[in-house]
Amino acid sequence: MKPGVWQRLDVIARGLFPAFSVFVLLLINLLPVSVPLLSTASPALALMAVFYWAVNRPDLLTAVTAFFLGLLQDLLMGLPLGVSSLVLLLVQTGSASQGRFFHNKPFSVMWWGFALVAIPALLLQWLLSSALIGALLPIKATMISYVLTAVLFPIVAWVLARAQNTLLRYV
Amino acid sequence: MAQHGGPQQRIFSPLRTALHRFAFILLIFSAFGLMLLGKADTVLIERIRAASADLVSPVMNIVSRPAASINELTDKVYNLAHLYEENERLRQENQQLLAWQQAARNLSHENNRLRELARYTTPPALHLVTSRVIADMGGAYAHSVMISAGSRDGVAKGQAVISEEGLVGRVAEAGYQASRVLLITDINSRVPVIVENSRDRAFLSGDNTNRPLLTFLTADAAVAPGDRILTSGHGGAFPPGIPIGVVSSVSENSVRVAPLFRRHQLEYLRVADYGLQGILSDKRILESQAPVNTNDTMLAPEIPTGVGVVPAPPEKPSTGANP
Repeated sequence: MKPGVWQRLDVIARGLFPAFSVFVLLLINLLPVSVPLLSTASPALALMAVFYWAVNRPDLLTAVTAFFLGLLQDLLMGLPLGVSSLVLLLVQTGSASQGRFFHNKPFSVMWWGFALVAIPALLLQWLLSSALIGALLPIKATMISYVLTAVLFPIVAWVLARAQNTLLRYV
Repeated sequence: MAQHGGPQQRIFSPLRTALHRFAFILLIFSAFGLMLLGKADTVLIERIRAASADLVSPVMNIVSRPAASINELTDKVYNLAHLYEENERLRQENQQLLAWQQAARNLSHENNRLRELARYTTPPALHLVTSRVIADMGGAYAHSVMISAGSRDGVAKGQAVISEEGLVGRVAEAGYQASRVLLITDINSRVPVIVENSRDRAFLSGDNTNRPLLTFLTADAAVAPGDRILTSGHGGAFPPGIPIGVVSSVSENSVRVAPLFRRHQLEYLRVADYGLQGILSDKRILESQAPVNTNDTMLAPEIPTGVGVVPAPPEKPSTGANP
């Protein structure tokens, strides 16, 4: 039986969901919040989502998608171009290759995995940004950002897991 | 994802792996290419950035409203809890302000009369555009916010952005309906300033912390914590006299300034068009090659090249006016 047009469109739309979720998280990252701490260092929400999808559905969030989402992040946040592209690309490729390791393991393993991956990712981002701007950026903000990113990962992962279970079960 | 073991699979599988690897390497190179491009062609990148700000601004414009109302709610709860103290404080402040108002009125009259005597030409009229903050590019790497006004509203790159407290930053890129504001705390921000009391000149240089540094201060400058810092108007980007901050700490090798605005409470900002040329327009950047004849402008010898300050195109009358 051949699937109809609508059915195929539906599958395509669902397949685009991971990339769209990263985009939405990017916009959430941009929201002005009146919390003093968050305005100096914000959690890297896009990084969490890219890691999550790379581990769980690398077929739906490919390296190319990660690259362009990174580019969008750089453009929107006013970072030097190419930095987030490189970081998200490396995270996607690295995590996708290790994806099997996390399958059928408790969530805490994935959390630890993310906490480990986020260290070099944010360090690389800090290093490249500093190099391109031409001045050493304060590392303290990056460290706060890391702690926030690691601590908030379960919330984002939970939301993404719910979405994955409802939207992407048959895709 | 099902594992087929057909003959096709055996041929295409290694090919696909090779293709993936090639794509990965290509993407890595493009990332570095982008970094180079970002360094080389700033004008093009600015256009793209402005376009991307335009792209997300309709969404952010709507989404930031609920966020703002949540903030308002928390503010209200906080205000209710501190109503009494706040009232007391405001009463005192009001008394002081009334005294200041009287002083300001007297000075304003005196100033007007002195201006008439001196045939002073008044500075160009101020054109203000009020806009809402729709995004905060908070983060460890960049200090900037997005506002919901662009070239459509008369916002242009380089204009001063002020809050009710004082200078917040300048327009870094102006899109059609949204612009990015580079805060004075950003590592790329340099503002020529002056210390209010001692009239010492300096630069306020952001370093991505909440306390920007006062740089290029002369060795004998008298700066103490609590001194107010104003824009000096040098370079022609901002008009003189906009309050920026208060000196927060003075140590042997650094003077830090606490900006007057609080970043997490920025909600409405005003973009001020003082009709000044600014140091940042693309046209003037193109003109930034060293003047052919440095004797033509009296400014040229004083200004070191490569700091972004572009001397005005040589005009005989303007140089004559400067002492």
